[in-house]
Amino acid sequence: MNLKKYLVRALHRLQKGPGYTYKELLVWYCDNTNTHGPKRIIKEGPKKKFIWFFLTLLFASLVFWQWGILINTYLSYNVTSSLSIGFKTMKFPAVTICNANPFKYSEVKPLLKELDRLIEAALERILQPTPGNSSENVSTPLDLELWNQIPLVLIDEHDKDNPVILDIFETNQTAAGNETDMDNKTKKKYKLAVKLCSHQGSDNCTYRNFSSAAQAVTEWYILQSTSILSKVPLHERIRMGYQAEDMILACLYGAEPCNYKNFTQIYHPDHGNCYIFNWGMDEEALNSSNPGAEFGLKLILDISQQDYIPYLSSAAGARLMLHQQKSFPFLKDQGIYAMAGTETSIGVLVDELERMGYPYSDCTVNGSDVPVKNLYSQYNTSYSIQACLRSCFQNHMVQICGCGHYMFPLPEGENYCNNQDNPGWAYCYSSLRASIKQRQICIDSCKETCNDTQYKMTISMADWPSEASEDWIFHILSYERDMSTNVTLDRNGIIKLNIYFQEYNYRTISESAATTIVWLLSSLGGQFGFWMGGSVLCLIEFGEIIIDSLWITIINVISWCKGLKQRRARAELVEAHTNLGFQHEAVGAVPGAEALPPEPGTPPPNYDSLRVQPLDSLGPDSDTD
Amino acid sequence: AATAPGKKITARLKRTLPVRGPQAPTLSELMRWYCLNTNTHGCRRIVVSRGRLRRLLWIVLTLSAVGLILWQCAELLMNYYSASVSVTVQFQKLPFPAVTICNINPYKYSAMKEYLSELDKETKKALETFYGFSEGKSKVRRSVDDWNSTGSDFFEQIPLLKVEDFSRTATELHSGQKRKIEGSVFHKDSSIVNSGDSNDIIGFQLCDANNSSECALYTFSSGVNAIQEWYKLHYMNIMAQIPLETKEKLSYSAEDLLLTCFFDGLSCDKRHFTRFHHPLHGNCYTFNSGESGTILSTSTGGSEYGLQVVLYIDEADYNPFLVTSTGAKIMVHDQNEYPFIEDIGTEIETAAATSIGMHFTQSRKLSKPYSDCTETGADIPVENLYNKSYSLQICLHSCFQKAMVDSCGCAQYAQPLPAGAEYCNYKKNPNWMYCYYRLHEKFVKEQLGCQQICKDACSFKEWALTTSIAQWPSVVSEDWMLRVLSWDKGQKLNKKLNKTDLANLMVFYKDLNERFISENPANTLVILLSNFGGQLGLWMSCSVVCVIEIVEVFFIDSLSIVLRRQWQRAKKWWSGRQRGAGSAGDPEGQGQGRGHDNPACMDEDLPTFTTALRLPLPQDSPLPRTPPPNYSTLRLESAFTEQLPDTLELG
Repeated sequence: MNLKKYLVRALHRLQKGPGYTYKELLVWYCDNTNTHGPKRIIKEGPKKKFIWFFLTLLFASLVFWQWGILINTYLSYNVTSSLSIGFKTMKFPAVTICNANPFKYSEVKPLLKELDRLIEAALERILQPTPGNSSENVSTPLDLELWNQIPLVLIDEHDKDNPVILDIFETNQTAAGNETDMDNKTKKKYKLAVKLCSHQGSDNCTYRNFSSAAQAVTEWYILQSTSILSKVPLHERIRMGYQAEDMILACLYGAEPCNYKNFTQIYHPDHGNCYIFNWGMDEEALNSSNPGAEFGLKLILDISQQDYIPYLSSAAGARLMLHQQKSFPFLKDQGIYAMAGTETSIGVLVDELERMGYPYSDCTVNGSDVPVKNLYSQYNTSYSIQACLRSCFQNHMVQICGCGHYMFPLPEGENYCNNQDNPGWAYCYSSLRASIKQRQICIDSCKETCNDTQYKMTISMADWPSEASEDWIFHILSYERDMSTNVTLDRNGIIKLNIYFQEYNYRTISESAATTIVWLLSSLGGQFGFWMGGSVLCLIEFGEIIIDSLWITIINVISWCKGLKQRRARAELVEAHTNLGFQHEAVGAVPGAEALPPEPGTPPPNYDSLRVQPLDSLGPDSDTD
Repeated sequence: AATAPGKKITARLKRTLPVRGPQAPTLSELMRWYCLNTNTHGCRRIVVSRGRLRRLLWIVLTLSAVGLILWQCAELLMNYYSASVSVTVQFQKLPFPAVTICNINPYKYSAMKEYLSELDKETKKALETFYGFSEGKSKVRRSVDDWNSTGSDFFEQIPLLKVEDFSRTATELHSGQKRKIEGSVFHKDSSIVNSGDSNDIIGFQLCDANNSSECALYTFSSGVNAIQEWYKLHYMNIMAQIPLETKEKLSYSAEDLLLTCFFDGLSCDKRHFTRFHHPLHGNCYTFNSGESGTILSTSTGGSEYGLQVVLYIDEADYNPFLVTSTGAKIMVHDQNEYPFIEDIGTEIETAAATSIGMHFTQSRKLSKPYSDCTETGADIPVENLYNKSYSLQICLHSCFQKAMVDSCGCAQYAQPLPAGAEYCNYKKNPNWMYCYYRLHEKFVKEQLGCQQICKDACSFKEWALTTSIAQWPSVVSEDWMLRVLSWDKGQKLNKKLNKTDLANLMVFYKDLNERFISENPANTLVILLSNFGGQLGLWMSCSVVCVIEIVEVFFIDSLSIVLRRQWQRAKKWWSGRQRGAGSAGDPEGQGQGRGHDNPACMDEDLPTFTTALRLPLPQDSPLPRTPPPNYSTLRLESAFTEQLPDTLELG
């Protein structure tokens, strides 16, 4: 009962509002509101009243429609980009230098000896298919175990529908069949293919065929050597690769001399030992504040082409890449070649893209929100999309094939694939590599980084050293390296590199939000103001009116309930007394109501104070008092 | 009976919604009423302020506010068509572009012998005459006399000349005669360096066949350029007469050019290449041209997953005068794009592996009215002669070809044929060379109007290439590589391939990030209106409602007041004329009723802080009975309930 009392009292307190009926409330609102339209509705003659009513409605709906558009625009999180270009002191990029060939042939020869003999014999067979020759060449019996794990086969495509598969080291019968055909003009119909089986001797085999024998041989050799080298421990592999002091003959950064000790060694599975200048792992990254070749990095390298593994890499040169500090160099993707016997000048422009993260674009700041375990974090390098894709592939490989591929870092507790332990790995690997589904999964799960830095290079080349200077340059460089007067260098091994900033060394595209909350508010205000001259206060006014009308509803409901008992008795009184004043007004407000209300003589003054306690709500009020 | 309900309805409408004129009787009343009642802020202060200075100040302020609004809104309107740029990067599976590969030498020289022997002989002779060069006596048949057989008259028409610049005389190749040169001299090469110093300049003279005094002499600072240009001129004449099928046979086949092919880790062959005949480069082969309906895409970056081909460049079969460099030309382009390989191709060296890393950028401009670009080229009045989508280059070439056909009567050899035209050659169009050179000069100097007509395309795809070269094959792998490649080619084993006949090419995506640079409209109508609203609100707290008010008050109401005045004056004059001067009381009484104290203008919604200014109601209120006190609740009753008698007439 108490609660009800309080409620009712509060109700009356609040209800000092402008009226007791909806119409009165509306009229009061129209008259006093700050928005422009409603005022006019009640001011003018009936026709204009109608027009203004229509206009106000129209404008209100326009405002709401445009607000919808504005809020939609805001929620789409558009960005605008600004471009800045010029020269500033910038961190010199990290420069990774590798030899195109991963290991010194003189060092790995014992490991690859069998393989080389096999491929040589196979090539003999393919290229010179005379029976006498082939038997003569095999002076020592070949170890066919390696061969049988992943054999090369010839596919005879004379009969398109039913190709004949010929093993190269199979019985002489088929080989003899070969020869007669090969002498014919149709010998181009033969194709070389790599036979891959899920298990040795099983029937579940695929033939990867190649249009070119050169391609087939290279691919086969890579598969075999990968298997052999994966068993070699890491420190041994590093030893077999090129050493910094052999490879980097001279170094000059700006005016300061540097040497091979300024380079950080890293073992790269594709290219063996790679050396990174200015990686920024242990020491501060170097800055460059001047454009031009004089202030860049100048290197002289020796790639000793004579010591290349013949079947592994057919292109000769240095592989180099410019990348950000503390990032892993993915040379296969972004690396460039430098040719032996030339001076290669590389002008660098840093092309940066700075993006805003979620919700503006779907990028990641440090890769922590990517659902792929980054295997390259063991190098202490930062996240990149290439690292993510490779990690994703390696994780799949470990899951499906049970071992990791030699080219990528290993997850903990796993081993690299080799032919002995995982006989079907090559089959598994090539089917995984060709699987589009697997690639799509990786593409979908990896995200690009928000700050994308690219080094745009302007590459130019010249012959180096010139014929006139050749002799003394080779002499000095050989002397410095080996402390002997024998010239150990030649044109096929020596490379000069100049890496420097261009006159404009940066181009930064940075994003900023096209629509901020301030923009949204001012646009909303602009719209409301433009059509109706309204502001936030007008909205509050409107809210107040709604609350008022709610109160009126509540009061009406309460009084209706209260009055149910007394209704019959008081009905006439209520009709006659309370509503008269409002009725008068109401009639006046109705457009075109010509007739005046029935003359009551002098009506009672319509004071506000009189209205506070209408008769029908007298009951509860008097109770409390 | 039919009109009765209609009339009834109009009568009813008139009764319920009577048309009334403005309530204020005079213009100044109207203005005062407007100022007091308007929603804009300045006007009220003008009326309410006391003192002349203050009022003047408010007038100035209000007017300057109006001026500012107009100025700012004009600025907003003028900047409406501006664009903002957004760059998005998407990491995704990318479509591989089409890669077109051509040998630099267009046709096998051995096969072309029968067509070019005359021309070659002539060229060699010129070399010997002017420079004393001979290719070793065994090779050249030094029979100057017997060469003069068939077809030589073409070469005689446009011979190479040795010009002595100062005397303006030229020595002719065959006759050895000196003759005076007429007409203008064009130094083809001498726009930068004045070649007048050198003693013997070589060039050729082109004359208008119809009017032999119209001649142009083209000279070159170097004989190398002169010989090549002259050779090309005659070469094009000869080639224009050979039908396309024959030319395709004369050029390289796919088997000739492509030794190995590898794409995305899988082997590919000549079926993946589409032949396309280029007038200057012979047979070119486009990888992934999309003609089979599918466009290959790549989902892994890196050199292993791109296109890897080994090309066979048969250096021994090169035309020594037409091309002087060895190698291949490649171009990376979109499938819908025509490869202008002669203009923007990349050259590939032999005995080397060329690695080309690509980075994909797509750009989109906004077309009209933001910028002057074209979406499809349909709005350009130049017929697209190429069977590919529009580009600026296509438009310029088509435009030139059209001008060529119009003015010379035949088409230039390097560009496609328009309908109904044929390529120029000596036999049919003896005049075409002169005409072509003249036209080309005009084209370069932008006098043909092509550069004005052609617009750039709104969207374009760009593959930024990073090219680097490595030695290939390496010293140690050279032996087996050449042997195996020879086997691939199906050659006899004793004839091994030479490494200078081979070129290795790798084209791959450096990364799968696609940059998409697009222009977006910086303004939309919604934002423009918002800005208008902001301006109006800032300076005057105005809105569209105010604008409507202004239109209503200043145009409709003022006009009707003026009209009403005139009408009343006319009526008065008329009635005065009719009744004479005696009875004029009636209109005067009316005028009194509408006087300055008309309650219509007073009984208004005044701002609460100026209630003190409210004037007392006039004593002789026309209300017939005691009015209720003017409490705020009553104000909703319009001030203009009283109907002025004359307004009925307007309705």
